[in-house]
Amino acid sequence: MDELDILKKDWHKEKPEHKKLSTQDIYPMLHKKSSSIVKTLFYISIAELVFWIIISIIPYFTSNSYKKQLDSVYTNDYVFGALTAFSYAIILLFIYLLFKSHKAISVTDNAKKLMESIIKTRKVIKYYVIYNLAMAFISMVLGTYFAIVHNPELSNTIAHFSDKQKLIAFAIVTGFTAVFVFVIWLFYKLLYGLLLKRLNRNYKELKKLEV
Amino acid sequence: MNKELKHNFVELLETHQNIIHKVCRLYTNNYDAHNDLFQEITIQLWKAYPKFRGDAKFSTWMYRVGLNTAITLYRKSKRTIDTQDFEGVAFKISAEAYDDTEEQQLKILYKAVHQLNDIEKALVFLYLEDKNYSEISETMGISEVNARVKMNRIKTKLKTILNP
Repeated sequence: MDELDILKKDWHKEKPEHKKLSTQDIYPMLHKKSSSIVKTLFYISIAELVFWIIISIIPYFTSNSYKKQLDSVYTNDYVFGALTAFSYAIILLFIYLLFKSHKAISVTDNAKKLMESIIKTRKVIKYYVIYNLAMAFISMVLGTYFAIVHNPELSNTIAHFSDKQKLIAFAIVTGFTAVFVFVIWLFYKLLYGLLLKRLNRNYKELKKLEV
Repeated sequence: MNKELKHNFVELLETHQNIIHKVCRLYTNNYDAHNDLFQEITIQLWKAYPKFRGDAKFSTWMYRVGLNTAITLYRKSKRTIDTQDFEGVAFKISAEAYDDTEEQQLKILYKAVHQLNDIEKALVFLYLEDKNYSEISETMGISEVNARVKMNRIKTKLKTILNP
């Protein structure tokens, strides 16, 4: 006889070590908090949105001179205005995409479909992070460039640099920015890697059945 | 309305609770973890219940939510211990050896099943629940042929675990 058929005979028996719960035992369970990865993922995506929005507005509120500088740039420079409008549009787009993909996660789908919807949500967050990191990188490099151009003292100093020194200064700024972006990227890799390790493994196992 | 919904749900769950216990039996191996997973499955069932329509059997619907929670949604809470390490189990199996008593045999079988991966456990679960391959394929989202092939492989794997 097959091993599983031996097991089948015992399978439906209630086990004494897990007492049968009464309705009174079940009621309080409905009010407990879920610890599912979908919930965690949801909180992460909210935190992600809030974090990057705060990062982009903090300088505006903390430094008066920066505020003044920005205000003058915005009123005088249409490019900056358009860029800001664009970045808010992107945030709105991501909020919409996140909402949609979270809505699509249904525990009553089949196992594979459920995993796919979660992976899709994770991808939306991933693209949002990539977008923000790219923007952070570009604005740090551009910001440094503009600071040099618009600050007479600084540009004066730079003007006295030899070509080699200029190159070194440029390399330092770019290198520093790249390391910053890389560290944040690593952090995300670790975060999602830990959270979705089991899901990825199980999804791979299911996919393997198809080949 | 909400009170009535809750009442109906709790009554149904109480009647069919053994299904959840059986899922927990496969996916956990200690008392705390069992209760923890039971709790999570109950929450997921309750959250999905308003969308449950009578056209599916409550028990069939429970299989889906229960397995999906165990395989995909559930995050082991900190207080529960991770599954036993493979070598420890293997050692115990060989030390106990095959005993004629049924209880002993079942114990070894359960231990062997615990060594399967999450997906394999899900197929074993549905098989033990007497589900046919069409239902297994629907629940897992794989083709019927693949479900059949995988089931045969699992049986072979179990044999290898039991008789290394």
